Amino acid sequence: MDAAASITQPALWPLTAIVFLPALVAAFLSLPIVPKAREEFIRWTTLFTTAVVFVLSLWMAWPQLFGAAGPAQFRLGDTGMQAVVKLPWIRAFGIEYLLGVDGISLPLVVLTTFLSMLAAAASWPITKHVKAYHVLFLLLETGMLGVFVSLDFFLFYVFWEVMLLPMYFLIGIWGGPRREYAAIKFFLYTLLGSVLMLLAILMLYFTSDLRQLSPEQLLASHVVSPALDAGAQADAVRAVRDAKAPVHTFNLLALAQIGQLPNSPFAATQIWGMSLEKWAFLLLLIGFVIKVPVVPVHTWLPDAHVEAPTPISMILAGVLLKLGGYGILRICYPICPGAGLDLAWLVCGLGVVSMVYGAFAALAQKDFKRMVAYSSVSHMGYVMLGLGVWSAVAGHDYRWDAWAQGVNGAMFQMLAHGISSAGMFFMVGVLYDRVHHRNLEEFGGIFNRMPVYSGLAIAVFFAGLGLPGLCGFIGEVLVTLSSWNYSRALAVVSAFTVILTAAYILWAIQRVYLGAEYKGPHGDHLTAITPRELAIATPLVFFAILFGVAPQILFNYVAPSVNRQVETLADWTRRVHDAKPASVAAIGEQGPGQDVAAR
Amino acid sequence: MDIAAQLPLLLGLAWLVPLASFVAILFFGPRMGPHGRNAAWVATAAIVTSLVLSLLAAGTWLGAHPVQAAHHGGSHGSDHSAEAAGPVAYAGDWYTLYQGGGLRLSIGWYIDALTVAMFVVVTFIATCIHVYASGYMHDELHDVTDHEVHLSGGGHLHRPGRFPRFFQALSLFCFSMLGIVIAGNLAMVFVFWELVGICSWFLIGFYYERTSASTAANKAFIVNRVGDFGMLIGLMALWGALGTLQFADSKAAGPDGAQVVRPGLFGLVRPAEGGHALQVPDGMVKFAAADLVATTPAAEVAAKIDDWRSMGLGRWLLFIAGVGIFCGCVGKSAQFPLFVWLPDAMEGPTPVSALVHSATMVAAGVYLVGRFYPVLTPDVLLVIAYVGAITLFIAATIALVANDIKRVLAYSTVSQLGYMMLALGVGGWAAGLFHLVTHAFFKSLLFLCSGSVIHACHTNDMRKMGGLARVMPWTAGTMLVGCLAIIGAGVPFVIGLSGYYSKDAILAQALSFSRANPAHSILFLAVAGGAFLTAFYMFRLWFMTFAGEPRDHHVADHAHESPGVMVAPLVVLAVLAVAAGWTLPGGFGLPNLLEQARPAGTAEGMTGGFVFGNLTFPAEHESHEGAIHVTATLTAFATALAGVVLAALMYLVRIISPAVVATIFRPVYSFLAGRWYFDELYHALFVLPALGIAELASGTDRGVIDRIIEGLAWTARQLAGIDAWIDRTIVDGLVNATANATWHAGLELKKLQTGHLRQYVMFIVVGTVALFVLASLLFRTSMAG
Repeated sequence: MDAAASITQPALWPLTAIVFLPALVAAFLSLPIVPKAREEFIRWTTLFTTAVVFVLSLWMAWPQLFGAAGPAQFRLGDTGMQAVVKLPWIRAFGIEYLLGVDGISLPLVVLTTFLSMLAAAASWPITKHVKAYHVLFLLLETGMLGVFVSLDFFLFYVFWEVMLLPMYFLIGIWGGPRREYAAIKFFLYTLLGSVLMLLAILMLYFTSDLRQLSPEQLLASHVVSPALDAGAQADAVRAVRDAKAPVHTFNLLALAQIGQLPNSPFAATQIWGMSLEKWAFLLLLIGFVIKVPVVPVHTWLPDAHVEAPTPISMILAGVLLKLGGYGILRICYPICPGAGLDLAWLVCGLGVVSMVYGAFAALAQKDFKRMVAYSSVSHMGYVMLGLGVWSAVAGHDYRWDAWAQGVNGAMFQMLAHGISSAGMFFMVGVLYDRVHHRNLEEFGGIFNRMPVYSGLAIAVFFAGLGLPGLCGFIGEVLVTLSSWNYSRALAVVSAFTVILTAAYILWAIQRVYLGAEYKGPHGDHLTAITPRELAIATPLVFFAILFGVAPQILFNYVAPSVNRQVETLADWTRRVHDAKPASVAAIGEQGPGQDVAAR
Repeated sequence: MDIAAQLPLLLGLAWLVPLASFVAILFFGPRMGPHGRNAAWVATAAIVTSLVLSLLAAGTWLGAHPVQAAHHGGSHGSDHSAEAAGPVAYAGDWYTLYQGGGLRLSIGWYIDALTVAMFVVVTFIATCIHVYASGYMHDELHDVTDHEVHLSGGGHLHRPGRFPRFFQALSLFCFSMLGIVIAGNLAMVFVFWELVGICSWFLIGFYYERTSASTAANKAFIVNRVGDFGMLIGLMALWGALGTLQFADSKAAGPDGAQVVRPGLFGLVRPAEGGHALQVPDGMVKFAAADLVATTPAAEVAAKIDDWRSMGLGRWLLFIAGVGIFCGCVGKSAQFPLFVWLPDAMEGPTPVSALVHSATMVAAGVYLVGRFYPVLTPDVLLVIAYVGAITLFIAATIALVANDIKRVLAYSTVSQLGYMMLALGVGGWAAGLFHLVTHAFFKSLLFLCSGSVIHACHTNDMRKMGGLARVMPWTAGTMLVGCLAIIGAGVPFVIGLSGYYSKDAILAQALSFSRANPAHSILFLAVAGGAFLTAFYMFRLWFMTFAGEPRDHHVADHAHESPGVMVAPLVVLAVLAVAAGWTLPGGFGLPNLLEQARPAGTAEGMTGGFVFGNLTFPAEHESHEGAIHVTATLTAFATALAGVVLAALMYLVRIISPAVVATIFRPVYSFLAGRWYFDELYHALFVLPALGIAELASGTDRGVIDRIIEGLAWTARQLAGIDAWIDRTIVDGLVNATANATWHAGLELKKLQTGHLRQYVMFIVVGTVALFVLASLLFRTSMAG
């Protein structure tokens, strides 16, 4: 990494530091010079590292907090990729160290750093192999952050795998009684997804050809760095376009450009009677929905959660599940728009099935943590539905704002669920640390025993219930309202879920917190919430309220990028997929002028 | 400051002050004086502030829009032009929740005469209840022994009091309710709708150590959510096709920066250019005609909309939207079939019952139907009317046999809400809302009186009461006023209590509707029969409680009149229960105030309907005239009188024995006492299947999906085992065999080492030739390949 690169790429070091600082500290902690016995030192170092990474991400996301905005920091309202870092990595295959953030990934990055910090603080009760635990924990953070900022598909895949292994060990070594079963189950599911994803990556790579892109598209997708001077740009563009053989690429932005070409090679290539685009979409979708997870590939989640230690559950629910949704949004749809449009019923259907099935399953659980895990399945179903209605109303009218509402709702739901589910798992963990059981039938009367804790816990559970004024409401309402235009039946079923959600959450609250007396063992251990726990719970409750009352804080980041992507795809639908411009008509009275030809 | 800026400011503050009180008590409640005693003052001060602000707003309103006598009969033609302009309303937005393209969800206001009136009523009644509760909740100021909670070790629960928490929830409740009233769009209504739900959860479950209380709280919230499920569908139908949930038209910056008027729901469904006549809005027509739109050139779509509309496209969508929104109201206002939560809500402290049952929560549903009225089609109105009729009848019959004083009142609330819904459903917009307001006064009075009785007797069971009028004269007297008000007592055509006016208006409109639609004359019979039942069970309650001799001396000896802080609100409310319906000379009165807010286009009556045949909704002012008015008033008087007389015969002078009647009609009696077995029915129909499906889903995960996954894993392991076997036996075997062969070959070859040089040379030559042949063969094959 030469000096010139860091001048023309101001985000090089900040972004690299956000991703790799945890790994670096992990490497340091793993050295023999750090004695295993110095557990407090290891814990504090980890917490400090995660805090630094959080501040760094905040520095990028909210420049005003740190004074004037620098070139590496995020410009609100800018729709494209920002803070792009581009260095060659494996030249033979055109693999690059290509990072960047936009309004879709940046909030998720901040969510990750924030939850990692809280999870590090929640790791104090871990007493087994403390050193190894924290090394793996930090590696996990690097993996997660890397996935969110990678713009190179190969790099994305590497981070995706980097994340998988620490998670396997964290569940398999520090988990509960059935930890090995849960860890292997998690590993097998995710590995299956990864293999299919790799297959799709290779299919796309070997079909892609950068020579099809115009010079502007090459620049826009950072195949040719816009940071170069004009002459160098021209040279680089010529080098690509004049190449004799096809120029393959892993660049996600370029792949999206290629996928949206009228003569997209992905759509043109047929494999066993189905377009390559569709194959790739399906393979990637399977890989991502396993992470989300949707019914029927969700059964790793309850086991993983039940066995995982509390901080790992927080990370798992708060961040890992979002990787699936992020992948669908960032990769599946832009690169394979045609397949996305044809298979919208699949995405929406999986979402709605997950919502209802997860809610019913949650209703039946006796294990507190398992119930919360199933609530995640149900809540992530909203994300799928919101993403799916995106490609909804094609054909005769283009309500891009209705699609955008669904996707914005899905993004909001991901972020809100990151807060509320991490909070719910933490709240379960607080109880488990005291009485060492999670049987819903053996609680009761906690409110009178631990009033402050119970107040915070009920607030978090209400956020999960989707109560207005708390973060869970906005995403659910936006997604539900947007789904009507896609399918009346799915919309009705998704609206039905609100009853089930209320039922399982209120019933759990009743059994755990309300009532006259505690019915389980170790009742004398029910001590008041500790300052450390309070320091973790309070920010979660605070943000649950803040985002519920002022959702615009998040939409300011999310909406510009989401709207641009949706508009681009709406435009693609009109231009490429649907050649009936004469019939374009708007329903309703709204919509921006440029999109509604009938006006 | 002009009124358009002043009203939102005043009412906005009135709305937010209780929220401030909630936050303050949440954080500092326990530190507010000994045991948080001063929390009551904080909450009361907040609601009094809201009341003052609401009164100021009302003053502002009346200053700008003086209330005048309604024009009846022949004069109504002359104010036709004023009618066409629609009611005066101020609308705007405070801030945005979400905006994407033209779609926008916001927090805003819609203020008309109805909003102002509701603000005054809600804050006034809430103030009375706050004052009353500061006395009633006295027990919570010190440690409490809850005799209804039996601990596993024997004995009762002993817990610290939670006085501040009660007022904290009360403040949040008021904030939420006022949020519904001021809401400028349906999304905001939905937000506060849910908040009211959760506040009721807190308050009903106030004694959360009691399983019955927490179960009742859950039941209230979940049953309300069932209604919200329908409401969400209504919201989706509107949002999906129209892209707005705003009530009023709003101005927004268009794409080119110019101000564009974006029509609200009212303007879309009843456009001013059509004289505010109800029509399916363009958006819904296009939505329903999606297939036609797809095949029509874009430029011609606008011209064809009227054709499509006349084909009936989109009318189902409007019907679904109306019924959907009404479903939410069914939940909140405890209508059939979702009324089951309300009687259980009695588990909360009595001031909560008073608040929930009068001016808040249950009022929200009726209020929303009134607010949303312009969008409701004839078919939806008929659904509303029938739901109201069924509700009022079922609830009244259950109230006949209930022995718990609060439950009688609870079922009477359900029944009265049925009245209001029915009134709205038969075209009596003003009648329904008028009754909402008068009912708020006398029902809160009745509940507070019952609380006073319970406070004195420590029991809810009327069979243990009797003769209390002597020890509790104030309570007995004010409760008598409440009973007279609810049955609509008055001197026909001269003067009466508040209920007299509102109930007459409902009866008259129901009669008017029945005359116009003979097929639905059962609606009038329901109203008239309901009036008889109401009179009977209310006076049964009063006679059983206050008249005659004490039935339980243990209870009677301890009974005493409540302290002044509890009696004072009773007197104030009693005065209003008498006078709230009066119209002063000059026309000042509630009905005329409400007329100011009458939705555009509803004064004229309406015909239409496609689901239930053609329906005629006579204009409301027609029911104030002539024969209909006389018939209705006399019917009301006769039925109420009959009810009171029958109650007196059974419970006062005891000529007819209730026990004998119950024995004669044993099956009917037990059916009513079992509350029509709705709880049991719902448990069997919905709760058990839901739990069954839940178990099925959970079982499928463990029993099917996991089995498949584990089966795959097992298969993989078996394959690995086969692989290992192949490795061990075949691959390793081959290697070993090779090794063996080599070994043996070596042994054999040893024999070749004869030491004869000539033999060696021959071997080399033969070997080289063989290698060449082999190599050339291989090469050729590879070239060919």
